[in-house]
Amino acid sequence: MSALRLALPSKGWEDDTLRFLGQCGLRVDRSNPRQYRARMRGLPSGPAEVVFQRATDIFDEVNAGSVDLGITGYDIVAEHRSEEDNVLVVHGELGFRRCALVVAVPEGWVDVTSVSDLAEVAVELRSSGRELRVATKYANLARQFLYDRGITYFTLVEVTGAIEAAPALETADIICDITSSGVTLRENRLKPVAGGVVVESQACLIGNRRELQSDPERLETTRGLLELMEAYLRSRQQVSITANIPGLSAEDVARRVLAAGGAVGLRGPTIARVFPKEVSDQEWFALTVVIGEDVLLPTVEALRRAGAGEVSATQVRYVFEHRSWTFEALKRQLQGGVASAESGAREKTTA
Amino acid sequence: MLGERAPQTIQRVRGTTDVLPPDDARLRTLEANLRQGFERFGYQGMQTPIIEPLELFLRKSGDEIVARMYAFSHWNRRLCLRPELTASVIRAYVDQLQNHSLPLRVHYGGPIFRYERPSRGRSRQFTIVGLELIGASGAAADAEVLHLACAGLEAIGIKRYRLVVGHLGAALQLLAQLGMSDHAQGLVLDQMEPIARGRVDPEDAIARVVSLLGGGHQSTNGAASDLPPGLASLPPEQATAIAQDILSRASLPVEGGARQPRDIIERLLAKARRPDPTDQVRAAFEFVGQLHAAAGPPERLASQLQPLLVRRGLSTAPIDEVVGAIDLLRAYGPLSAEAEIEVDLSLARGLRYYTGLVFEIYVESDEGPLQLCGGGRYDDLVRALGGREAVPACGFQYGVERIDLALPQNQVAANRRVLVVGVSAADHALALEVARTIRAIDGVVVEQDVRLRGVKSALRYADRAGMQLVVLVGERERQEGVVVLRDMRSRQETRVPTRDMVDLVRQALT
Repeated sequence: MSALRLALPSKGWEDDTLRFLGQCGLRVDRSNPRQYRARMRGLPSGPAEVVFQRATDIFDEVNAGSVDLGITGYDIVAEHRSEEDNVLVVHGELGFRRCALVVAVPEGWVDVTSVSDLAEVAVELRSSGRELRVATKYANLARQFLYDRGITYFTLVEVTGAIEAAPALETADIICDITSSGVTLRENRLKPVAGGVVVESQACLIGNRRELQSDPERLETTRGLLELMEAYLRSRQQVSITANIPGLSAEDVARRVLAAGGAVGLRGPTIARVFPKEVSDQEWFALTVVIGEDVLLPTVEALRRAGAGEVSATQVRYVFEHRSWTFEALKRQLQGGVASAESGAREKTTA
Repeated sequence: MLGERAPQTIQRVRGTTDVLPPDDARLRTLEANLRQGFERFGYQGMQTPIIEPLELFLRKSGDEIVARMYAFSHWNRRLCLRPELTASVIRAYVDQLQNHSLPLRVHYGGPIFRYERPSRGRSRQFTIVGLELIGASGAAADAEVLHLACAGLEAIGIKRYRLVVGHLGAALQLLAQLGMSDHAQGLVLDQMEPIARGRVDPEDAIARVVSLLGGGHQSTNGAASDLPPGLASLPPEQATAIAQDILSRASLPVEGGARQPRDIIERLLAKARRPDPTDQVRAAFEFVGQLHAAAGPPERLASQLQPLLVRRGLSTAPIDEVVGAIDLLRAYGPLSAEAEIEVDLSLARGLRYYTGLVFEIYVESDEGPLQLCGGGRYDDLVRALGGREAVPACGFQYGVERIDLALPQNQVAANRRVLVVGVSAADHALALEVARTIRAIDGVVVEQDVRLRGVKSALRYADRAGMQLVVLVGERERQEGVVVLRDMRSRQETRVPTRDMVDLVRQALT
């Protein structure tokens, strides 16, 4: 029996990743924090082997098949992809490490507000014998982005160290780099330009096509992993509420609650009789339903109108559906279908 | 760990093709035949490198080509695999042929590379054959090029085709009349071709160009009307000085990278004076749409297209040039009865350097029209690539693989093939001599058995390889001064004296 091999990002990514896995019910054990090998527990098929690597190296490791799965940034995947690689995006939206690859220019370029201005500036620099210099670590994405917007006169500058400092150091004119809050850009007197988002990114789970195809056991372990991740991610905006409501019968309570316009949940509320500790002339019923966090207060109001006394709400830890949609999408990809896990996940959330 | 694993196979690069026997022979013959035809008109062959400086194609080839180039950096030089050949030929002309007496007529052939989505008739490496007529302008030159394009196809058996002739003059005049910048004109021209082919919805194209020009709903620039009247009427010099003064009093930094405060403020004001491009772009595409709708046989030109230009106050010279070229084309001799000519002034090729007459040739295929040829006039390219003076030029290219697709059958005649076999290793030397003698017969391909696994094995190979004749040489034959001829179709063997061998082989092969 072969264990699933999973690469996790180290350095600045580690805490976020371990927190995410923890919330999914997956625990990563290692003898000491400097160890780069570990085991992950929480899957029914036994522990998975974990190796910590730099987020930028994980794509290559997965591609080479030295690990089966890896968590890394979508920006990194997009930059390193090729048509003939072995990498599948198994889950494109793990919901953390959100950031965007953007084009940013010096604040002093008051005439530049959008990417279309850059096309002109590039031509203008060109006519004076210079070239627009773009500092980036994302050469493929940056080049294609600029070409697609009619900007052909530019030089990509390889910068070691902080990309944001390149314009101030005059090694480049503009940058194409990752930002999440924009603070680092501002600190370096740079501003993003309108229409300059190259790619929106967040953490994603990638896998090696050949390895997953060749071993049903590891594929099954992957299914378990995806079930937990998906159920956790789906649960994040859901709360389970319980309310005690007096009434003549369960049907009576249901009728009044539905008439008050709340607490419908996915299929309708569960209503059960309460056996009071003291004798009462009134029958009480407990109503339980899982609802979206965004409708929590309106739902509480509706329940009050229906006569609810106290209402409690608890964060739901997992919401499983009748199957794992990302795993279904993965299977289609492994069979050579075109549907990607990204669209699979989106398909679900809009359904 | 896993023990010895067989090395993995290596796949060819996506979008490329291995040309295997017998396809290679057919394609090479096709390419040679096409180029041979040009020679009769005084065109001489030339070749340019497959790798070129990236800069060569950034100058004039256009964004659509640039975005599809295989570009790379090698030891700090920016290079690319050539995405087309005209720019290369003109680079070579500017570099080495400017003292050549004009006109200069050259033809060429070879692979070009474009990073596109592969499909039938579209791969990422493909072969073109083309010609350029450098140093001649006017209808006479255009007509020669048109004639060679049509005659070349007819000569190899493509008689049913559609020649579409256009002229960029109409669209270029209008874009200039609308006051569009070079950058904006280029963006519009780039979209003309995909629109005409129905690959892009016109509304999407308008939205794309407008947004690339920074206009439309996502515009973050103030419109021209927002500029205070006083500032708007000031000469740019003064306006710049005032703006610069205000910004520096407010200690707002106006610089960054390689740009100077002055450049930035000048551009800021120029941008503010400029109207939103949406209306211009819409007008440009509307006009292109009208040109496309008016396309048709040359006879209809005067009634359909002429008024369209006149109404806009544009010169009708482009129409005259197209008519002149087509009239002269017919004077070269009648085109095939199945050939059609259509004039479409909205025709824009994917390349940015064309300035006048442009044309394309299509045949119908199961999957719709298949473009076999494209070309046109480019009078500014020599200058743009650093030529001493402007030199008018025109040319065209065929897509060799596409022409091959369009040809009905593999038309390369099978060679007459003979296998010479020594019965044992001792007979090999004599067999070589026999082979050499037979090879002297014109048009006969002679293979030598080199595996030396015996007659049976050699005959099996000859059968599968489609040999017509096998010549066997053994010890007995050596002593008797004869060879055995085995006819692979009738399976009959005859012993013939060595001295009669050549005549009898020739006979057996006819």
